[in-house]
Amino acid sequence: MNKKLPLSLQDSLFIGFCATLLVALTGMLRLKLGLSGHSMFLMSFFYLICYGVLGRFGSMIACGGIAGLVAMALGVGKGGPMILLKFILPAIAMDLVALLLPLTLGLHWRCVILGIVGCMAWAVKVALTNALAGMALDVVLIQWGASVLKGGFFATLGALLVPPVLHRLKAHDLLHRDKL
Amino acid sequence: MKLLELDGVSFNYGSQLAPVLQELKLSIGAGQCHCVSGPTGSGKSSLLNLLAGVLSRPHEGDIWRHPELVTGLVMQDPQTQLLRQTVGAEVAFALENLGIPAENMLPKVQLALRRVGLFLRLDTPVSTLSLGQKYRLMIAAQLVCEPHLLLLDEPWAQLDDHGVSELLAVLRNLIAEGMALVLVEHNAAAFAEIIQHYWQLEAGRLSEGIYTVNDAPVQDVPVRAWGGAHHLGKVLVSAEAFDFCFDGCQPLFSCPQGFQLHAGEIVTLVGDNGAGKTSLLKSLAGMLHLKLRLPLKVLGRKPKLGVYGAELGLLLQRPSRQLFETNVLAEMQFSLNRFELPTARAEQMLLDLELSALAEQSPHKLSYGQQHLIALASLACLQPKVLLLDDPLAGMDKEYYRKVWFLLKRLSAQGSAILMTSHRLVEHSAVSRQLSLRQGLLAEEAIGMEERYVG
Amino acid sequence: MWVSCRRWRLRARRRWSREKQETTLCALSLFLVCVLSACAFVLPADLLLPLAAVNGLLVLHGLAHRGSIMGVVKLGVIQLTITLSLYLLLYGVDHLAQGAVVVGRIILATIPGWWLCITAAPERIGEVLSAFLPSKWAFVVAASLSLLPYMADEVREIYQIQCLRGARITPKALRNPKNWPELVYCVLFPVLIQLLKLSRQMAVAAQSRHFGKSTRATHWHSPRDKK
Repeated sequence: MNKKLPLSLQDSLFIGFCATLLVALTGMLRLKLGLSGHSMFLMSFFYLICYGVLGRFGSMIACGGIAGLVAMALGVGKGGPMILLKFILPAIAMDLVALLLPLTLGLHWRCVILGIVGCMAWAVKVALTNALAGMALDVVLIQWGASVLKGGFFATLGALLVPPVLHRLKAHDLLHRDKL
Repeated sequence: MKLLELDGVSFNYGSQLAPVLQELKLSIGAGQCHCVSGPTGSGKSSLLNLLAGVLSRPHEGDIWRHPELVTGLVMQDPQTQLLRQTVGAEVAFALENLGIPAENMLPKVQLALRRVGLFLRLDTPVSTLSLGQKYRLMIAAQLVCEPHLLLLDEPWAQLDDHGVSELLAVLRNLIAEGMALVLVEHNAAAFAEIIQHYWQLEAGRLSEGIYTVNDAPVQDVPVRAWGGAHHLGKVLVSAEAFDFCFDGCQPLFSCPQGFQLHAGEIVTLVGDNGAGKTSLLKSLAGMLHLKLRLPLKVLGRKPKLGVYGAELGLLLQRPSRQLFETNVLAEMQFSLNRFELPTARAEQMLLDLELSALAEQSPHKLSYGQQHLIALASLACLQPKVLLLDDPLAGMDKEYYRKVWFLLKRLSAQGSAILMTSHRLVEHSAVSRQLSLRQGLLAEEAIGMEERYVG
Repeated sequence: MWVSCRRWRLRARRRWSREKQETTLCALSLFLVCVLSACAFVLPADLLLPLAAVNGLLVLHGLAHRGSIMGVVKLGVIQLTITLSLYLLLYGVDHLAQGAVVVGRIILATIPGWWLCITAAPERIGEVLSAFLPSKWAFVVAASLSLLPYMADEVREIYQIQCLRGARITPKALRNPKNWPELVYCVLFPVLIQLLKLSRQMAVAAQSRHFGKSTRATHWHSPRDKK
């Protein structure tokens, strides 16, 4: 892990594209499937891909921040400044927890833990929105629990798919780094 | 005046991988025009990046640059180099990065656009330009920094004939002004009038000369004696007269007579870039959802994505996009598995193409030509009744060019109807008919077999 | 000739200052969007009507700029049906109005963003954002946004190609999460590879045009002919 060098332009662009794709796909799937909580699937997948491909602190926060900005600029989802929180809160939580996780832990486990952490932070945002939009507090809490359960399922699913994808990328010699 | 010199330069993309460039020697002087030819994937683009000084990995050997040398690099796909939305902003991008004050930009931008012959309003959206115009815009975006050496990557493959002649005029003037030019080009002949030095790059080695794909009509007996006018095969694809237009746009082209595809024939669809060839193929495969439904019938029904299963195959450009399995064999077996066909066909196909050595390799480590062929072969395994190919011959090297034709001929002998697009005339004995898409008109163009054999 | 040249320069200078105004305007509208969206959440219910009126003006303005409101309408309808049916199931008929207000707030929070997309040029937004972001990230955001149509086409094409190849990724197949790994392997994985390549190409393209050379990059202002 190299934390001193700033991100190269190429890596930054990759993060940016991932973030944009995340926003676009979230919007597309919402209309196609009408399943709630699926956004956690894509979010945990793309954040963890950034984590795996770049392997450094801040990559997920950068991805979340850009995703929020892009979503804001595109008016995707529930537009406005709240969308920024929706994307960046899980990213911050995941990046911070990633720092604490020992590298000796298997990649699978790391991904699943991070996915669930992200999901909990994501649910906090949902609860915050609901509270702001005027829902009763006990309803908000019940919904938070429900979101964590629902989102947790999708987040775990997304997280579990990351290690095989990373291994494939590595097998194809597309990652010029050894940071797993 | 010497601008740049390479001496014994080698380069690779990873210590375990085969070197891309080996022991290169090249010297470029002002006002010279060099052309490097070679098959796709032979390292031509890496060479240009090396000359431009934008390679991220280290190289071996010496590169001498004139201390004040400014290079301009125009890469292959204009789409991935367009960084801004309007013509003016695009050209000004380099100036922005050099910190030139906004009020000094306008004259420079206008001059650069004039030099490439683009007389457009500065707020013209980039997306409305033709591919040829986009290519010249990319050149203008480099000229704005007044480079001494301009590097162009495969302009011919990107441009149609009209675009090439426009580009030639621009390049001729630039060379006359003393600019040095390095063209990396699969088809050197197209730029013969300006090229002074010919190089060919094969297997990482640079030598003098022109790399040519030998695609002269092979003097073999045609597989079947299709006459020019009458076809014996069953009609598999038919279209009545139609106008093709995207929703809310002017018609892109019209087809007043309609067309048909018969079992066992290879039909080429020739037209300029942006004429609508790919869109037509996509609508035949049911990939386009237009409000105005086209009167098309493919295999007896209206095209819809996925209804044909293994009976219809479509190969779009850059087939490396669709590769995802860990090895070539699995990649070829994917569709066979999904359509519940015998997977042994994949091994047989590799054997027939003499590619068995690749079976266990990662498809992403193959050369461009190999990837292209594998993607085509995995479609051919399915023995589709209708096979649609989008420019399958572009950028192929000698070896794979022959193998593509081998596959196509075999499929047509098995009764597949093959429709392939090309932005240039395809000279091959196996082609039974040609549809042309010119000036917004799709029609059959008569090219008699006899005529071609005489030629 | 000299006179006309000077006049042209003067006019050009006036034009630049107008461009600067435009940027300021964009910054203000960005700020307005944030405020309006935040208002949609924090304002008490009885103040929502005036807010709706303001948003209505934005809609009219956006429509006058030939924007399509269909996306927002579609989103609103879907939100409304989902939320209302949930409220009906969970809390009964009494709370339907409450649910409608919540959806109303969400839509009111969406409209300003939609309006901004239509009225402000992305490079202006990029310029405004770059005031807050380091120039590299501002470029990344702008590049990602401008490449979005290209990426969307690419994703759609890869998706369709894999459908033709027999992958189990049709909307119907995807209702079953068992098929999601197939979506990841067949579509997202090749797309990721494309993104890796694309980011390399774009980085080279930008660097070949001196990106990152100057610490204080300037910004191009497109002169618009006003006759």
